[in-house]
Amino acid sequence: MSRFFRSTSDSESETDSDISQYSSEEEFSDGSDEEEQQQQQQEEDEPKKSRFLKGGDDSDSDDESSVKRQVKSLKDKRLEGLFVSVKAIENGQKNNDWGLIASEFDKLNLTVSKVTTGFNAVSTPKAYIKVVAEIDDSLKEAKEKNGKKNSTNIKAMNNVKQKMKKITKQYEDLIAEYRKNPEEFMIEEEEEVEVEEKAPKVKAADKQETKTAGEDGFSQVGKSGKVIAEITQENLFARLKEVLESRGKKNTNRQEQLNVLEALLKNAITPFQKISVLQVLLASRFDVSVALGDCMKVSTWKSAAQELNELLNILETTSFVIREDVDEYDNDEKDIVPEPGQIVQLRGSIISYTDRLDEDYTKSLQSIDPHSVEYIDRLRDEPTLYNILVRTQIYYEGLNIQKGVARMIMRRLEHVYFKPEQVILATESQVPNTMKSSIITAKENPSELVNQLCSYLYKHDVSVLRTRAILCHIYHYALHDQFHTARDMLLMSHLQESVHQADHATQILYNRTMVQIGLCAFRQGLIKECQVSLQEIQGTGRVKELLAQGVSQTRFGQAAPEPEVVVVEQRQLLPYHMHINLELLECVFLVCSMLLEIPAQAQAGTSNSKKFISRPFRRLLDYNERQAFTGPPENTRDHIMSAAKALASGEWEKARDFILAIKIWDLMPNNEKIKKMLVDKIQEEGLRTYLFTYASYYSTVSIAQLATMFDLSQVQVNAIVAKMIFSEELSASLDQVSQCVVLHQIELSKLQLAALQYSEKVSGFVEQNERLLNIGRENNNAATATKTH
Amino acid sequence: MATTNTEPLQTVQLDGLVVLKIIKHCRESYPNDVTGQLLGLDDQGTLEVTNCFPFPSDGDEDASAQYQLDMMRCLRAVNVDNNTVGWYRSAHLGNFVDLSLIETQYSYQNSLSAQSVVLIHDVSKSAAQGNLSLRAFRLTQVFMKAYEAKKFTTESLAQAKLSFSNIFEELPVQIHNSHYVTMMLHNIEMPKLDSDRLRSLSTFASTQKTQTELEEARPLAPNFDVLDLELDPFMQKNLQYLLDCADVQQQEQNNYQYWQRSVAREQTKMQAWLAKRKQENVQRVEKGQKPLPEDEVNTLFKLPAEPSRLDSMILSAQMHNFTKQINQFAGPSLARLYSIQELQK
Repeated sequence: MSRFFRSTSDSESETDSDISQYSSEEEFSDGSDEEEQQQQQQEEDEPKKSRFLKGGDDSDSDDESSVKRQVKSLKDKRLEGLFVSVKAIENGQKNNDWGLIASEFDKLNLTVSKVTTGFNAVSTPKAYIKVVAEIDDSLKEAKEKNGKKNSTNIKAMNNVKQKMKKITKQYEDLIAEYRKNPEEFMIEEEEEVEVEEKAPKVKAADKQETKTAGEDGFSQVGKSGKVIAEITQENLFARLKEVLESRGKKNTNRQEQLNVLEALLKNAITPFQKISVLQVLLASRFDVSVALGDCMKVSTWKSAAQELNELLNILETTSFVIREDVDEYDNDEKDIVPEPGQIVQLRGSIISYTDRLDEDYTKSLQSIDPHSVEYIDRLRDEPTLYNILVRTQIYYEGLNIQKGVARMIMRRLEHVYFKPEQVILATESQVPNTMKSSIITAKENPSELVNQLCSYLYKHDVSVLRTRAILCHIYHYALHDQFHTARDMLLMSHLQESVHQADHATQILYNRTMVQIGLCAFRQGLIKECQVSLQEIQGTGRVKELLAQGVSQTRFGQAAPEPEVVVVEQRQLLPYHMHINLELLECVFLVCSMLLEIPAQAQAGTSNSKKFISRPFRRLLDYNERQAFTGPPENTRDHIMSAAKALASGEWEKARDFILAIKIWDLMPNNEKIKKMLVDKIQEEGLRTYLFTYASYYSTVSIAQLATMFDLSQVQVNAIVAKMIFSEELSASLDQVSQCVVLHQIELSKLQLAALQYSEKVSGFVEQNERLLNIGRENNNAATATKTH
Repeated sequence: MATTNTEPLQTVQLDGLVVLKIIKHCRESYPNDVTGQLLGLDDQGTLEVTNCFPFPSDGDEDASAQYQLDMMRCLRAVNVDNNTVGWYRSAHLGNFVDLSLIETQYSYQNSLSAQSVVLIHDVSKSAAQGNLSLRAFRLTQVFMKAYEAKKFTTESLAQAKLSFSNIFEELPVQIHNSHYVTMMLHNIEMPKLDSDRLRSLSTFASTQKTQTELEEARPLAPNFDVLDLELDPFMQKNLQYLLDCADVQQQEQNNYQYWQRSVAREQTKMQAWLAKRKQENVQRVEKGQKPLPEDEVNTLFKLPAEPSRLDSMILSAQMHNFTKQINQFAGPSLARLYSIQELQK
């Protein structure tokens, strides 16, 4: 077996060297030269051909049918078919039956392509080359005596001609060799066939035998052993090219190709070879998962990551450079060894590999069940990915390609911005110290790191990246409790106005940022700010979709969304570890709403003004009140509703207990502090609510009384009441001497109410009218414009 | 049957009998709105109304028409004025401006006599303020034309200079009595003073008695209703009406806005089409072909029709009416309040 293969490879190497001469010749001398040659050869070939083939082929097919009955491997079957086709073509040539030739030629091509690719690939059978050459010749012949053919024949001939053009190009070198010396060429062939006959037998007999047969130091010969054996330094590029050509075709087995490429990689020695193989290998790895929703297998991903690292390694240590903006390097399948100091520029795109790697990582996280161990295992791969990102970034920095650097920094930022400091530190610390970026220097200080990443992107001129960068930056600030910095940045960015036109991913990021700012405000005790930030997202009732943490559910009466839409939506979902806890979010929102809404409700009194601070909260509360029986609270929502009712009736202690009983506060960092803040707020709002509700029943209230009722200090009560009086919420005055609040009873008469209502309505009406006028004016302008056209 | 007098009406002259009949009819059927026919003569700028009769209030159209015809025939038979010069209707706090009023008045002015008027007797207002509220209105010429054409677009309104304030023209109302009646009134107004009564003014009970007696004796003497300090019911009712009007007006506004938006949308479409056509034409000219016509745009796209502004106009007129009423009411009321304040000092 090994002997056989060695022989082929030997012949191959011969041909290789020949080819190089030939191809260069041929390239310069065009078809005219070739024709001359062919005509010469034609004359020579004619007599020999028949003899040769008859002998070779006939015996061959006979042999095969007799010997191989019991040991038919796929390859052999194919070879068999190949020879049958060859014979048929010859017959066709004799009879000048182009229809037959055409159909047989197709068959032949198919078998050859099957045989020469894949696992059991053999080198192109010589007989095939011969047939190709012959067809070529007879084509030319036919051209000369064109006149006497029927139309179907001509059609078939043209058909063949077309295919020939393609094939001759593919096997240029082999054909040329055949032309040069057909006899010798075919002798080799015969030898091969003989060996070939033996080979399958051996293989079928015993695998272990093949192992012992490996006299030449091939220690490992497996299923793909043949392939490995076949690959040498010299033919590496040819094989690579083959793989490249079959890439993307219909019947190519991608997995098979990968194996071939892996084998190639093992054999690649020089940096250039490695680079070439790695590029193809990476590309085909990503090819495996082409389908929209699919992701790569974890193992594939890992090897891809490893290979990308290797590629980067080579690029960092040698003077090869891969850029997107250089021409294809035409090296005639030869190895390149750069001179010292010389920089060889190759075409390719590291960044696209990194991008794909990153995207696939996200995809795989999306597809893995987030509550499984698998997910956590997968998360462990993030540092690897992060390292690659950093490396690519540094690599592009070295090349001074701003665009690439910006893209990588964006990706890096997206891996970092949502994480707490410790996690960022941990990820950062895994990046080897050898990788030093000139732009991003802060490694120890996470917030400084984010700052640097963002600042770099701000300077960049792609506005999408800038927008995303600022959102990430704000998110990061909000996450780290710097509410005012975050808010100021958001306000300065003026993103609120333009975000509606942005792409989905950016809008999602914007929503996340808003929500995070809200949570930040809550942690800081800024109830009002928190409510305002969360209102927009929570108010819609579609929080899940807006934050890309789940797909929209079809509500009753709505048409089910198109399956494509669902797929697109699913692709935009964030991986689980980036999620913001929705229940916590709702809880925070409702608590804030409660703290604002209950006093407001009390203030509005019986007059049912429709000014809601938080519509969702009101709805829930109304629903809760309409219930015939309300049991003890079970979930977060129930707790808050019960607390709201207690607060409304002045029982702040009950409200406090309900709120503190919510378990989800444990998810908040610093929850003791937050709980304390909440209790303070409940006391304060309880006092306000009490004053609003019961003010009309008092003429005076002592401050000490209020202080004991709400467990506040007298100073605090004083401050709250004074504030209420100042903002004209409460018609009262403070009696400093007797330390009590004197309440004034003012009740509006029906007439006054009606007048107020009317004035409100009219002012709204006027406002709308003005808007109407403006639109009307615009319309008129447009109308006149249309008329003047 | 109407005298074709081209001279425009200046005043409306009512006979005392007519006024009393109208008041009686309207008050009796309060709070329902009632209508009736005015009969009289149009005499050189003055419309003399000498008689009237109420329409039956049950809604049957045919019966009502029949009743009118019969009534007219009977009146002619007894040789009373039977020339229709208009109609009257009752109202509450000036809420009379509506489409039905305009429709009826239009048909009167259009088919019966160009000089027809409508008399509005405001029952509630008369009761609240102690003043008789009786007003005569006619539709203006401009409005008549617009109504005939049924065209109430912004453009046409602007052209005709028609606004809510000139839908109606108000005519001064005079009350005319025969000399006999005037004399009798004077007689009633000046009862003989009874010295006995004056003497007994010292006691409270007898004062009461005298007061009422006095009242009975002088039915036409001014009473203290004018000094009533109760403002709320009137204002409240007025505001209520205003609020209702504002709501409806807002709906109108929304309709209009909707129309404007659809127009804007259509116009952008038109412009896009025009731009495309222009481009095409430039290309065609370059190729030496004839340019395609550009006026097709008007056949291809149709701007939605503007909603009628009539409703909104009527509403504005109604609101104007209310506000004016409040204004009128506010002046004397404030005066009263100030005087009371002074008194209480």
